[in-house]
Amino acid sequence: MIEKFSFLTSDFEKDAPKEMMLLSIISQSFFQPFSLEDNLLVILTALTSGSGVGFNRAMLFLREGERLRGEIWLGPRTPEEAGYIWDVLATPGIGYVEIIEHNRALVSKNEDTLSRRIKNVVFTMDEATCAQVPVQAACLKEICLVRDAANEPLVDRRFFELIQVDEFLCIPLIARDEVFGEIILDNAFTRVHISPGDVKLASLCGLIASNYLYSATLHRRLLDVEKMAAMGEMAMFVTHQLRNPLVTIGGFTDQLLQPGVTEEKRERNLRIIRDEIQRLESIVYQMGHFLKVSLKDPVYFEVGPVIESVLRSPEIQAKGRAYTLNVKVEDCLPQVLCDPTSFGEILRNLLDNAFDATPPGGTISVRAYRKNSASFVLSVRDTGRGISNPDRGRFFQPFFTTKEKGMGLGLPFIKRVMDTCGGQIEVQSRPGRGARFRLVFRSQGGEKTP
Amino acid sequence: MKRILIVEDEKALCLLYGEEFGRAGYDVTTAYDADAALQELKAKDFDLIITDIRMPGKNGIELITQIMGLRKDIPIIINSAYQSHKEDFMTWAADAYVVKSSSLDELKQKIRELIGA
Repeated sequence: MIEKFSFLTSDFEKDAPKEMMLLSIISQSFFQPFSLEDNLLVILTALTSGSGVGFNRAMLFLREGERLRGEIWLGPRTPEEAGYIWDVLATPGIGYVEIIEHNRALVSKNEDTLSRRIKNVVFTMDEATCAQVPVQAACLKEICLVRDAANEPLVDRRFFELIQVDEFLCIPLIARDEVFGEIILDNAFTRVHISPGDVKLASLCGLIASNYLYSATLHRRLLDVEKMAAMGEMAMFVTHQLRNPLVTIGGFTDQLLQPGVTEEKRERNLRIIRDEIQRLESIVYQMGHFLKVSLKDPVYFEVGPVIESVLRSPEIQAKGRAYTLNVKVEDCLPQVLCDPTSFGEILRNLLDNAFDATPPGGTISVRAYRKNSASFVLSVRDTGRGISNPDRGRFFQPFFTTKEKGMGLGLPFIKRVMDTCGGQIEVQSRPGRGARFRLVFRSQGGEKTP
Repeated sequence: MKRILIVEDEKALCLLYGEEFGRAGYDVTTAYDADAALQELKAKDFDLIITDIRMPGKNGIELITQIMGLRKDIPIIINSAYQSHKEDFMTWAADAYVVKSSSLDELKQKIRELIGA
């Protein structure tokens, strides 16, 4: 017999060791697709909550070049507020999820929260400030515990004004010998002394936070490298795309400038030149479209009218005349999760691809129906040349195209939109046997009435 | 009359090259992809091949490799929109590399150098 366990455990033994609780909470948060800020908040929550290390306040500075910049300061502002928050958090049934939710609200409120007070605070890590706490901890890569800040000459006065507490603990966040930031902890309201046990546990959290920041930084750098590589490829592709029409325009213009051009040739050349200019325009449009920094957020919308408006557009009508268009759109369609404009563009793109791949006289089928109570399917099928095996893995890559004048941006755009709205793309195709693109969107409502 | 085979997937460019090099006194055949070009090569003799690199199906470099196995003696001009293909050593086997330009002067000059007017 094989026993299986889940990584995520929501309930812990009440008397589980503090260290175990902390480790579980932080690790579980990293396991989930939280944002960088949320994960950092979880670490600070673990440091400040009663069942964690239990500090009153936790402050996070992140490194930016040779500076430490205030990011989050978690904790109550006054003893009264502290009492109130601790009462709330001690309510039976309140778990970590609720505490993190509560803390998220605490740091995101626009009023005068602690976090707001340190958002603009910056300490430079230069020689002069490195001698003073809190920068000293980051510069020397050592944990510093200050017992009497008011009388300690090595405490930065600006920092003392901000924190207004005598005892505090500075934990630099270090991974691979690189400083990523610093966490500063205190017991401003309970005035409980920071024990060696607290230091040990807090430094453990610091190490986990450092490793997390390290991997997040690596991930960001990797994305930058990928982005640069994609930009390089794009520049090369665009060069090619622009150069071909330019050669054509240049060559046919030169012909027009030669003596003795017939009226017939003049008109033909001008038509070619106009077509190529339109192509240049379309390249510029598509580039601008694809390079849009962010897509609009998905919303639930009535999908029927959008499908109809695309199918009725003059462009699709004109192209569709050469084909048998077989459209089946179910009644009582649900509300679909996507940006409506992007949805319309997806359908147009799929239809354009189907027209391009299918010789005139072929059949193009469009289907729109509810798959189940929570999902909706849009599918476009053609009887065209299909997709060859070597091309299968590549057609969602930008600039990959099998068309003579294609940019290879249609399918990557569809993929981007589907990723944004949590949908799926299924492709079925065999060379010479057509292709079917089936897009599954999240949806709600649209129940069939019996 | 010297015969030139042009391998280019852009139909408008094929038309332009056909007319321009025809006017310059050459007998021009155009092929829209590598396979069509190989067919032409098997059927006829050519004095020069001008080929694009990036084309649907087999690209120009694959085409050059196959031509090498077929006819080593025909001079080849690569005519690409990309400068960067020069980094591919297979393009070194070609006799000239002319980046596409809105003026055909350089291409015409290379043709004259390789096979005369």
